[in-house]
Amino acid sequence: MSNLVPVLIDAFSVGGLYALTALGIGLIFSVMRLANFAHAEFVTVPAYALFVLSAQPTVMAISAAVLVAVVLSLATERAAFRPLRGIDPATMLIASFTVSMFLQRLLVFAFDSRLKPVDPLAFLSGSVPLFGVSVNLLKLTTVITCLVLLVALTLFLKYTRFGLEMRAAAEDFTMSRLLGVRANRVIATAFVLSALLAAVVAVLFSAQTGFVQPRFGLQIVIIAFVATVIGGLGNLLGAAVGGFLVGVVATLLQTYLPPDLRPFREAFLFLIVIVVLLFRPQGLFPARGLKERI
Amino acid sequence: MLRRSLFMSTTAAAIAVSAPVAADDTVTVGFVMSFSGWFQPIDASTIRGARLAIEDINAAGGVLGRQIEIVEFDNRSEPALGADGAIEVIDQGAVAILFPSDFDFGAPGAFIAQDAGVISLSSASDPSFGVQGIGSFAYSISNAAQSQGALLAEWAYNEMGWRTAYTLLDTTIAFTNSLCAAFDRRWAELAGQDALLGSDTFRNDDPTISSQVTRISGLSEAPEVIMLCSYAPGGPSAIRQLRAAGLDQPIMTGESMDGDYWIGAVPGLSNFFVVNYGSFVGDDPNPDVNDFFARYAEVFDRQPDVSYGIRGYSLFQAWARAAERAGSFDAEAVAAELDRFENEPLAIGPTTFTPDLHIATTRPMTVMQAQDGAFSALGTFAPETVHLD
Repeated sequence: MSNLVPVLIDAFSVGGLYALTALGIGLIFSVMRLANFAHAEFVTVPAYALFVLSAQPTVMAISAAVLVAVVLSLATERAAFRPLRGIDPATMLIASFTVSMFLQRLLVFAFDSRLKPVDPLAFLSGSVPLFGVSVNLLKLTTVITCLVLLVALTLFLKYTRFGLEMRAAAEDFTMSRLLGVRANRVIATAFVLSALLAAVVAVLFSAQTGFVQPRFGLQIVIIAFVATVIGGLGNLLGAAVGGFLVGVVATLLQTYLPPDLRPFREAFLFLIVIVVLLFRPQGLFPARGLKERI
Repeated sequence: MLRRSLFMSTTAAAIAVSAPVAADDTVTVGFVMSFSGWFQPIDASTIRGARLAIEDINAAGGVLGRQIEIVEFDNRSEPALGADGAIEVIDQGAVAILFPSDFDFGAPGAFIAQDAGVISLSSASDPSFGVQGIGSFAYSISNAAQSQGALLAEWAYNEMGWRTAYTLLDTTIAFTNSLCAAFDRRWAELAGQDALLGSDTFRNDDPTISSQVTRISGLSEAPEVIMLCSYAPGGPSAIRQLRAAGLDQPIMTGESMDGDYWIGAVPGLSNFFVVNYGSFVGDDPNPDVNDFFARYAEVFDRQPDVSYGIRGYSLFQAWARAAERAGSFDAEAVAAELDRFENEPLAIGPTTFTPDLHIATTRPMTVMQAQDGAFSALGTFAPETVHLD
């Protein structure tokens, strides 16, 4: 048991971050079929906000990071994705690549490509005893934050008007519009939620790494994309479960593979992904409304 | 910084266009480096060091009576563009070319230079950047990764008296793989096979190394020292995660983590040791090194934050000296003189090249330590036994 607790905390803290990131991607995909590659910068840019405001009180820096993420996400939607709405998903995918590269270059230009130190949650650097072992506070906070956010998001989607509209739009966008759901509003809601999740990931992830650099978000978003595909593109439960699974499996592989095979951890991870997709081509939780829409 | 380099490369290009064929009183050298993109911060200090050397050489009358002119090409951190860059600067008359400080980045251009009969200069810490990997005209000024791994093993065992170690290897680049392999081998020779309590791997862009950290924490015997073979940003992040888990033992690493620009990622870092080419904070045992970095700070109006500048300086110091002795800029003649270097006193230290080996293996390096978030020099040490194979 005492050996298992740290491993499980490791697995869940990594899995939790992937789950939040996968959800951020999944939210936007479910309402507008956009695989938003610029989600990486939705994570990176607020982390830079934390760097810029590192001299300010924690609460202020984090609030600013969240605000920056929301503004960036809404601006991106308005400037880059809204004009392309209704065009085929491949074009939108390319557009999201463009946005991503543009923002990355902009960050290099503004801050150069060297890493910048950030430490938004310095007060969580200690450990607490849990089940007889000492557990890093930051990891524990990561696990708890992820769980709380997953529950909150579920409640939001189930019990609020916005949530209902989003679920309706995810199911059948055209029909939901005919029934009075406003396209702009529901898409904006998705972008705001996605940005909120990205900002939380930015805070937790940068607290763990201690730095930000222009490709900061990419590390985590690439894996999260794999997670959304395993979970079932367009299905939010699938995205969350997929994120958790990828994080947990990656951690367990790193922990239990023999030393000679550890450098090939990714190969095993993606082998598992391929096997899952062979048996469940639509992912573990296929989205119901996967026909053409918008 | 970016804008300044862009400006500089534009000016250099303009000079080159107005004088495509070098006049008799000048000689042209090329900088095919990463002036932009993610590799730019790595090359920047080397470029500044090289400029300083050329400034000094020109002030002292040039090489063979000719003033050195620089033509630049930005590979935009794309290794393959190095080949285009080599062709371009050779067309403009370059007789020696400075390439990026990494084999993968430098090699594409260096192959072209070799074929065209032009000297390639680099700070790649890989013996492949030389006779075997590129050809007879390619030279690296660095200490090979194998030399650094051996140095750290000997220093840890002999100077610090540590008896058990653990290696944590970032498998992303060739340098770190060679570094840890050399450390493991030399450590086993010195301390015995059982003195390596374990080893583990990660990738530089892994979002977390929590399972690797947990494995070290769970060892029945805590290692006295952790050998970390990595580079920024993954390396500093790894240290942060090790320290956060309460693993406070000494951490050692090679030149790939030289510099203090990343130390903010691990506030209050202590018990960290790194080998480099000279202390950039002004306390090197060698006063010439301190003078060099003081001048660097003055000329470029910025504090040096890595030791790489001295490599760029020494490369052109070496090339100019060899050309003077050869009485020619011909690559064959210059290479023949470079191959005769035996403990040649350069800014970077005594440097030896042979017709078979164009990289340093036994030259001393400075061991730097970080305590309470600040770097200082501990001394210079040279490895006794280095295995290159």
